Amino acid sequence: MLEVAQLSKVYGPDPAARPAVADLTFDVAAREFVCILGSSGCGKTTMLRCLAGLEPVTSGHVRLRDEVVSGPPREMAFVFQDYSRSLYPWMTVERNVAFPLRYKGVPKQEARAATQEALEAVGLGGRGRSYPWQLSGGMQQRVAIARALAYRPQILLMDEPFASVDAQTRAGLEDLLLDVWQRYEITVLFVTHDIDEAVYLADRVLVLRAPAHVALTVEVDLPRPRNQLTTKGHPDFGRLRSELLAALSPAGTPQ
Amino acid sequence: MVSLARVSAGRGSDLGLKVAGIAVALLLVELCTRSGLLPERWFPPAGEIYAEFFRLAGGRPLWVEIGRTLLGWATGLGLGAVLAVPIGMALGSSRTAYRLSRVVIEFCRPVPPVALIPLTVLVYGTDLQTKTFLVAFAVFWPMLFQTIYGVQDVDPVAIDTARAYGLGTFARFRTVVLPSATPYIATGLRISSSIALILAITEELVVGTPGLGRAIIVAQSAGDPTRMYALIIATGLLGWALNAAFGALERRVLSWHPAQRQEVAR
Amino acid sequence: MTRTAIGTAAGGRTRPAAGGGTRRWGRALRLLALQLVVPVVLLAGIWWWTGQAGSFYFPPASEVARYFADLWLFERVGGDVLPSLGRMFAGYAIAVVVGMVLGTALGLSRLLRTAADPVVQFLRALPPPALIPFALLLFGAGDWSKVFIIALGTVWPILLNTIDGVRGVESQLLDAARSFQIPAGARLTRIVLPAATPRIFAGMRTSLSIAIILMVVSEMVASDNGIGYFVLESQRSFAIPEMWTGIVLLGVLGFVLNWLFVVMEARVLFWHRGLKGNSDA
Repeated sequence: MLEVAQLSKVYGPDPAARPAVADLTFDVAAREFVCILGSSGCGKTTMLRCLAGLEPVTSGHVRLRDEVVSGPPREMAFVFQDYSRSLYPWMTVERNVAFPLRYKGVPKQEARAATQEALEAVGLGGRGRSYPWQLSGGMQQRVAIARALAYRPQILLMDEPFASVDAQTRAGLEDLLLDVWQRYEITVLFVTHDIDEAVYLADRVLVLRAPAHVALTVEVDLPRPRNQLTTKGHPDFGRLRSELLAALSPAGTPQ
Repeated sequence: MVSLARVSAGRGSDLGLKVAGIAVALLLVELCTRSGLLPERWFPPAGEIYAEFFRLAGGRPLWVEIGRTLLGWATGLGLGAVLAVPIGMALGSSRTAYRLSRVVIEFCRPVPPVALIPLTVLVYGTDLQTKTFLVAFAVFWPMLFQTIYGVQDVDPVAIDTARAYGLGTFARFRTVVLPSATPYIATGLRISSSIALILAITEELVVGTPGLGRAIIVAQSAGDPTRMYALIIATGLLGWALNAAFGALERRVLSWHPAQRQEVAR
Repeated sequence: MTRTAIGTAAGGRTRPAAGGGTRRWGRALRLLALQLVVPVVLLAGIWWWTGQAGSFYFPPASEVARYFADLWLFERVGGDVLPSLGRMFAGYAIAVVVGMVLGTALGLSRLLRTAADPVVQFLRALPPPALIPFALLLFGAGDWSKVFIIALGTVWPILLNTIDGVRGVESQLLDAARSFQIPAGARLTRIVLPAATPRIFAGMRTSLSIAIILMVVSEMVASDNGIGYFVLESQRSFAIPEMWTGIVLLGVLGFVLNWLFVVMEARVLFWHRGLKGNSDA
């Protein structure tokens, strides 16, 4: 599905400058849920922007379904961390979701149906006429997810989407995401700095170290469907958690 | 990181770009006059205007006119500020006073100051007093509103802190209220300085009080467009210099807190 | 000296809110009365003072009111008010269009912005009335010289605010649009411009008051109709009550136009207000 090979990114004209992404290589299979885990400042966001075609790469390449990514691809949708700055405050929730569809060439009737369906999938069926700023933070991020879903992507890139909501809301959003991932049969690449979140959501966790490269790959074979109580209480959950914690800490040993 | 890299790469060529921009503008003006797009009798070649401008700048009369305009500008701006700042402080710190005066203020603020020109001429005649009054009336409102907002914007926690440390009324005002309101007042002064210049020039044009404005209209009616344009250029440069000076003052006052940097009273 | 002005303000804020509905109504009424006390007293004072003072410059308010009704309801509306307003709106409309188009171009292109900076700084610092003689040479004493001056004087606040607004658009709003493959044209009209409207409106509001000033001044310098012309002519022929009606009319016009603008702004920018209200809470 997604293939990243020897990807490097250096900001600015100086080739000797410290790269943000260096020799990053990994694959994501179709319908896989991959979490990218890294501490802040390790180049996660830069990497994601390169994958999304928002930032030109310095060397290496990104392929989406065997096609080299050079600009934002049609099969991809992006959910940003800061929902308040990615939803358009002058449009209603409905229009926010429907807006990209118009330029994708979706007929009006179909766009309306897709919008309604996506909003219902995230539990906001009745809030289409509201404005984003009238909703809570968690609801706004659900609108952003609905917008991505209505776009019918094959792959969803998410940049720490739940980092700015409270813990309670966050658990709800995680379950919602797993649910739509199954229902819409999409591929998800999810960036986070939260170990528990990564283990809970993913099929596979990639640990990133600065400058962004894959330091460790951990397969998560916890049973699905996952559940906030039973999954997090599963003995393997603790094992994976410690393994990742060790990989993340600078010396390579658990703190 | 991205933007920084771009800025440092672009800085060297900035000056060149600006010079190029000025050159293009001057060239356009020159082309308009040389090509006869504008009738030559009224629009002399730009080169002659610049020559006239430098000739004027070398002599005394231009500076006398500038001095006269600046005098009206300064007395009006000073009077307006001296009245507006204390009143603004009072209205900003007392809710009751603010409520009592709100309707009157909201009614008076949008009154165009130039509407008062005929009345002022009747009462004060055609000298400096008229200019001062009109400028003062025009700058009073922006100064007043900037001061009110500045005082109202004082962080209540800062006041409580000052209280907790046992600071008296006067000390509290001096150490907390005044420093917080100062950036707003500085912004008000910058806005007001250009309004004051507009009013001073206007008054000279309409009423005929000596100054740059009158010099411009005298040159026009004397059939000397070259001098008229040279004087207009001088007026523009004066406005630009005042803007730059007050902009610098504002930046100095605001340097401690860039977030304060907003125009609330337009 | 223990009860300071600041102290009372803070005290007023922490005073517990009235409990019952009647008390709340009472409070609202008291507040209204408080706000109206000063204007009513002031008006009554002016009425009484001008009535008994017998001043030549300050004729009785009742007389001014009588003249006002005679002149402006609606005898001179077609001859003076409409030409004035027409020229003002024409100049203002030109300034809005030109300011927004140029401002968007300069806001989007760093190259253009840098190159235009010195020229823009000079032109916006030039007091617009200084250009009235130039406009008279260019267009003669008719309507167009006034429209030109009004447009030239009001374009700068709109231009500069549009530049700032366009530059200040959150980069993530644009990234989101790009990631959904919104074409560049639609990104400009559907994202950049709406996001810049709060700033553009701030500029338009400043420009509106400049437009009124320039409307009056241009009529005072050279015109044969318009409110500015009427006021100055009345003064020159010592028709003092007539002059006062013109001044009052200009004040009312300034107030009404400003009020209309605020109403329109609140409608167009309702989302901005909502957004700000939310982030404050």
